[in-house]
This record gives sequence, structure tokens and C-alpha cells, in this order.
Amino acid sequence: MIKDKIFEIGKKILNLSRGDQTEVIILRKGEGLTRFANSIIHQNVYQEDFRITVRVAVGKKLGVSSINSTGEDALKSVVQRAHEIAMHSQELPEFESFPSPTPAKMIDSFFESTAKTTPKERALIIKEAVRRATKHNFSVSGAFSTAETEFCVMNSLGISLYYPFTRAKFSIVVMSDDSQGYACATACDITKIDCIKVAEESIDKCARGRKPREIKPKAYDVILEPYAIAEILDWMAYIGMGGLSLLEEKSFLTGRLGKKIASEKITIYDDGLDPRGIPMPFDFEGVPKSKVMIIEKGVAKGVVYDTMTAKKAGTKTTGHAVPPEWAEVGPMPLNLFMETGNSSTEDMLSSLDRGIWVTKFHYVNGLLNTREALFTGMTRGGTFFVEGGKVKFPIKNLRFTESMIKAFANVTEVGKEAKLVPSDEQAIYLPSLLIRNFNFTGTTKY
Amino acid sequence: MVKEIFLVAIDWLKKKDVDYGDIRWVKKTLEYVRVKNGKVEVVTKDENEGFGIRVLIDGAWGFAASPIINEANLIKIAERALEIAKASRLVIKEKVKLSDEEPYVDSYKTQVLKDAFQIPLDTKLDLLFRVDKSLKKEGIKIRNSALYFWQEEKNFMNTEGAKIDQIIVHTGAAISATTVEGNELQKRSFDDYGAKGYEFVEELNLTEKAARVSDEVLQLIKAPGCPSGEKDIIISGDQLALQIHESCGHPIELDRVLGTEAGFYGTSFLTLDKLGKFYYGSKHVNITANATQGYALGGFGYDDEGVKAQKFPIVREGKFVGYLTSRETAPVIGQRSNGAMRASNWDRIPLIRMTSIDLEPGEWDLEDLIGDTKDGILFETNKSWSIDEKRLNFQFGTEIAWEIKNGKKTRMLKNPVYTGITPEFWRSCDAVCNKNYWHNYGIPGCGKGEPEQGIHVSHGTAPARFRKVRVLGGSV
Repeated sequence: MIKDKIFEIGKKILNLSRGDQTEVIILRKGEGLTRFANSIIHQNVYQEDFRITVRVAVGKKLGVSSINSTGEDALKSVVQRAHEIAMHSQELPEFESFPSPTPAKMIDSFFESTAKTTPKERALIIKEAVRRATKHNFSVSGAFSTAETEFCVMNSLGISLYYPFTRAKFSIVVMSDDSQGYACATACDITKIDCIKVAEESIDKCARGRKPREIKPKAYDVILEPYAIAEILDWMAYIGMGGLSLLEEKSFLTGRLGKKIASEKITIYDDGLDPRGIPMPFDFEGVPKSKVMIIEKGVAKGVVYDTMTAKKAGTKTTGHAVPPEWAEVGPMPLNLFMETGNSSTEDMLSSLDRGIWVTKFHYVNGLLNTREALFTGMTRGGTFFVEGGKVKFPIKNLRFTESMIKAFANVTEVGKEAKLVPSDEQAIYLPSLLIRNFNFTGTTKY
Repeated sequence: MVKEIFLVAIDWLKKKDVDYGDIRWVKKTLEYVRVKNGKVEVVTKDENEGFGIRVLIDGAWGFAASPIINEANLIKIAERALEIAKASRLVIKEKVKLSDEEPYVDSYKTQVLKDAFQIPLDTKLDLLFRVDKSLKKEGIKIRNSALYFWQEEKNFMNTEGAKIDQIIVHTGAAISATTVEGNELQKRSFDDYGAKGYEFVEELNLTEKAARVSDEVLQLIKAPGCPSGEKDIIISGDQLALQIHESCGHPIELDRVLGTEAGFYGTSFLTLDKLGKFYYGSKHVNITANATQGYALGGFGYDDEGVKAQKFPIVREGKFVGYLTSRETAPVIGQRSNGAMRASNWDRIPLIRMTSIDLEPGEWDLEDLIGDTKDGILFETNKSWSIDEKRLNFQFGTEIAWEIKNGKKTRMLKNPVYTGITPEFWRSCDAVCNKNYWHNYGIPGCGKGEPEQGIHVSHGTAPARFRKVRVLGGSV
């Protein structure tokens, strides 16, 4: 699809609607993804789709409907359905109006290099990663994807925004009989990812992880790599960095705004315009994204809002509306950054008398107690014991159960290098952390 | 009816001399209605349609999918699938070979008494407002009630001659009440899902359940925290469904066992050497995979490789005896596929997915089981879940628990968590409740694969007792 065609569909829908106000979201995506496991390509796919979501307002009543067809009848039907739903719905007191147009600063995030990557090109890179791992008798697994997306939001008040972007992701798990290494990278421009360097990082972790020892689970000082912290921040965004979670008092920030809740070395913010991330200049209501401080120098500063949660909270939208179907979750930060500090890896290690180096967390769950951000999960992808400022030996994987409020208060060092790490719903730009007294509650035999 | 237009692609693939090819067309309809704190929060209806072509050539796989259905695009997408398969060929060791399968020409449809999509929105909202009223009590901060309706129409045909059309209908409801006191939040909820029409919702008696849920959460916030220690525990059917899901359902997926998810979700401790030899649980543990239950979320007529739905044992008297398989993986263990390959939609490839993985009922009445427990805890309704990449070290939190003292269910406990290692845990099972307590619980969000695929599965369970399990108090 092209920009003009997308706008034409959007205009048709706006013209067809009999609602007081109408909003159209059009998402078109084409993605190729090559998966590999046991050092072979075992799944290799391409899918293209487009999704048209229509929100119709009749007074203060809203109806939502979506479809993935662009035929005249389909467009008529999706608009009519949204209108009928609105007519049968109830007034939402916090709904005043869809947003009016505000100029949005655009970031060039579409790269032909990514969009035109072929399955063969992906396969050849994987082949080289396999070749390098095989020299060590290791097997490799992972995924390599390249995608192009067109995102458009229009409404009857004049918003008409279009943003094309590309994204490449490469993740690799290298395994021996008794060890595992993990590494990954993501970027809008595939030429910014050195896949072989990522593969070598994973191979190195796997090699250093041979013959892991079992250690007793208890509280240890830890160095968490960006891969590990990204898993944590992704959950924190979901359970507590949005306006709805704050309004409903589910958030760990409830009652803590303006208070010091973390080490002063911790600053976390959302910025949809920072090109070091995967930029997204406007939200699903067509509102330009504001930079929002969540935690600044350890002090809880704020959460992100869409128009309705902002109205309820007596503030302004920050441009963080999610698709209408995600109403249950509410607005979320999808472009998170954690500020870097001053410590090199060597500095952090030298500060660690006895502790654990964690590459990545696996299967984190943040629903144990959302008010305290009490999380559990496993280590993965290379876990090591550190003693006297040196990595001494690999260890078998551990389960942690810990409050992230407590953990972030116990941060003593922040890495000076940062990485862009893909996570479930976003990509997070963040450094490593040294955290004191991090609670491990279980172990494994591998 | 199978859409004849797709034969164009099948004929084209045959001319290209592929080892194997299939095409799946899917049209999905979803309706979602939710009321929060007495107001309609969301009503949405989604329609989504498209097709995917899977091709195996020279032993390598390719797949491409598109929503644009016309002859020219069918060929274009088939060509793309072929191009992808040729790229896959650059990094394979052995050629993929599929187990034999009969090319069925058949159709299947969920039995539906009341078409939910024809029930007026006002009727659905009226029910949810009544549920909301039942949830409403002083002290309840958030009241949620929701209805979900899914319909999946699909056609499958392959180069071997299979032509199958299916219409699968799922219906569900979820309610919850949340209360906040000081810096503490507690929630009680109920949800259930089945392969039925609107009658499923009517049979749930949601208003009665809503009253119980809100009563319990108001008591829960004032309840003491769960004590820590090694305890005998009884797990309710709804929580046991997720326990089976994570610690049995995923590790028996043969593709996962063979390493195909190692780069993302992980592998499995149930390695090939354990089949027929390994004691997964105690003699009381009998687990069956049963896709033939038409009323369950894990039931269907045929999987997405055209293999008929089947019922077979997974664990018998504690011994591990069966995997979930596909046409590609079954030959590794000298078998034919047992029909577990499903895709979440037209734009995804089929993967080995749970069907209905059920714990067979035992002999006990729940009251007798509680009466037989001297010092224990009864856990109910999942709150949090986590398990390691081999599916061994798990930790589950539940919304609520009750202390059992000298054979009596006594005080309510909040923030209960239990943890363990899968085979040790299932070997500690010494009692399963009887068929009167057995229920098939639907789980509409099982994740696997890249791109991620969320799929509907189910688990039949009855409450069961486990000895000497590590229980963690709320503050952990």
C-alpha cells in the first residue's frame, strides 16, 4: 500500500460515517521472519496484513469495529457496525472529543535496506552464525525478522497523520550440552545491526558457561545486563506506568509520585522521538508523543496518558494512547529509555565482592503484587558467579522473587554504555545495573 | 464449503513439483463487550480474513500469507512461499519428511444452540449490568465484567487431496472485583470459556458468581498473609488447569522437545529417552490429551495439517507415555501425527499446540480430601505464573487460599504462593477428586512461536492434593 491509497481509504471511511465524530486507524505491515533451531532454518515465513479500526462517537457514546478488507462493502460495513455499537452503548463521562490536530514532528524511520531484505539475505547471515558456533560444537537457535509498517491515524476533526517505519530484529541463543548464551539486537535500519557480532557475543557466553555450578539461592548483589532489565521494565510499563493503572490504584507509583522511590542514579523516561529507540511520533489517537519522565534521579515523576485517562486525572494527554482494543490496559509507554551512568563493566565488576552476573531473565511475571512491583522469573542465557571483582565461574539458573521498588532503590552503579533491547511490546534503550541484595528464591539443575 | 478458488494455488504448487503444499483460508470474527464500574467501557467487533500457503520443497519449508484473495495474488503468495523455502534450503541438514496421512474430505462444526453473534447487544449489556450490580458493594473499587465471542471459519486443502472445512465457535465470560486498602490491593475473579454459543454464558450463572467474588475480595483484604513453609496443599480445579498447562502441556509438545522453540520459549525436560520410562507423577496422576471434546476450547475436528482430532494418553499411573506430535515430528518417535498442529490465524504457520490436556478424575470427594488433611492450604484461582525454560522450576501465586487445620477448611489467607520442581511436584500428588468435581477449563491465551501466536486450549481438572510443597508467604 502507499500513503495516498491509505489516506484515500481513511477519507472514504470518514465520509461514510454518520457519527458526530469518527476516527480511523490504519496499520499495514509486511514482515519476513526466519527462525532457526538446532543450527538449521526450521521455520521461515512472510505475512502481510492491514487492519482498519474505526471508532465512532455519537455524543459521548463510542463504538469500535475493525476489519482487514478494503472493498467498498467492507468499508461501509465496518463504519456501520461501529456506529450501531455506539448507538447501543452508554455515555462515557470522561469522553469529550477525539483530539484536534497538533503538529507532530516526524522522524525518518523507514529504511529501504530493511524493507528490501530478502529471505536469502537473512539465511546467509544465519548460515555464517551457524558456521561460527559449529566450530565450538555449539548449536544455535533464534530468529531474524525484517518488517515494514505503515501507520495512519485520521479523524473527522482534521487529524491526518502517516508514519512509515521499518524494523529489523536478530536474536540468538547458542547452546552446548550444559550452557547457553543469549544476545539480540534491533534497529529501524538493518545496516546498524552487526548480526555476526551479536552471534559472537552469544557464542562467547555459551563458551564461558560450560560446567556450571549450583549455588544456594539467597540474596546476592547482582549485575544485570540490559537484556535482563528490559524484561523488568517491560512488565513495569504494563503494570504501572500508565494513567489507567494509576487511576485504578494498581500501579506501584500509586501514592509515590513526587517521592524518592529509587536510587538517585535511576532515571527512566518515555520518548517516542528519540532516534536511539524505535521512534513512534504520535499515538493511536493521533496525538504527538511527549517526552514523559517516569522516574527522575530516583524520584517518581509521572505516568503516561491518553485523552480519556487524562481527562479523568485532570491533566493533559501525553500522546500514549494504545489501540482501542487494548482499552483494558490503558495508555502505556512504548518507547522507554533508562539514562546511562558512569560505570564501565570493569568498574561494576570491581565493585562486586561476591555476587551474580545475569545476562537475561526468562518468563518474568509482575502480577504477584503490582503495588510493590513484586516480580518473579528465571535467569537465562549465561549466569555467572563473581568474586573479588572477577567473574569466577558459571552457575546454574536461579529463580528470583523481588520487589523492583526495593531493587531500584538498591542500585549503586549504572553502566555508561546502553543497548537497544527488543521486548514484548517495544524496544527499550538501557544500560547495565549493579543492584545490591537482590533476592533469589529457587534454583535449577542446569 | 471449501472455497474452490484455492484449488488454483494447489494446482500451481503441484506443477512446481513440491514435496508438499497446503493452503489455509481463515475468517475470524470476534465480539468483545465489557462493562466497568457500571459503564460500558468497550464494545468492539473485529473481522479478519486471509490465507496462508505452506510449502515443502527439497525438504525445506516456506510460508507466505496475505489477506488479498484473488487468483493473481494466490499465485504471487505461492511464489513467495517457494522463494522462502529455497532460502531455507541454504541452512538445513536433513530433508524434512512428513508422516503419512489420509487426505480427508470432510467438514466439522461446533455445536451451537444460540448464535451469540445474533443475540442483540442490548441483551448482552443487560446481563453485564446485572452482573455489575451483583459485584457492587461498599469497598469495591473496580468492577469488571466481560463477554467474548469468537467464530473461526476455515478451509484447508493440501497437495495430497485433503479438503476440510470447519466452523469453530468459542464463547467466554470474565468477571472481577478489586478492592484497595492503604497500600494494598486485592482482586477476586472468575472466568470460563467453552466451545458453545450464547447458551454457555447463560449456563454460567454469572450474577451469583459475581456476588461471591465481591464478598470474598472484601474478606480477603482483611485476611492474614499466607504462612511460609513446607505444606500439604490442595489445588482447586481452576488453578490446577494452569499448573497442567505450564508443567505438562508445554513440555509434551514434541517440536519443543526437539528444540524448535529453544531460541524463544525454551525446550523441555521431557526428552526422548524418557518416553515410556520416566515417572512424571505418582500413580494417581493420569493425564490425557483429548481434542475430541467438541465443547472444549482444545477440541476441534481436524488440526491445521488435516489430521483428525484424537484422544490419547500422556501420563498413565504416573508414567510418561505420550507426546503431542505433528506430521514432521511424529516420525522421530516412529509414529504418525496425533493431530496437534494448529495456527492462531491465517497469517501464522501451524505449530504443535495443546489440545485439551486433562487430568483424569480420581476417587475423592473434596470434603473428604479436606477432612483427610491435617495441616494444609487450599489454593484457588491463578494470579501469577512463571516457569523455567525446561518447564521444571515453577512458581504460582493464587488470588486466595484457605488454611486447612485438622481436616477443616478454616481461615482465609491472602497473597499465597507455591513453588516446586515439576516431576517432584506431580510425584507428591496423593489424591485427585472425582468426576463430580471435574470441569474442563478454557484458556484463551496460550503463547508460542515467533511471530507470537496466541491460541485457545483447555484443561479438564478436578482438585488434587500434593504433599510437602514449598509455600511462600505473600511478602516472599
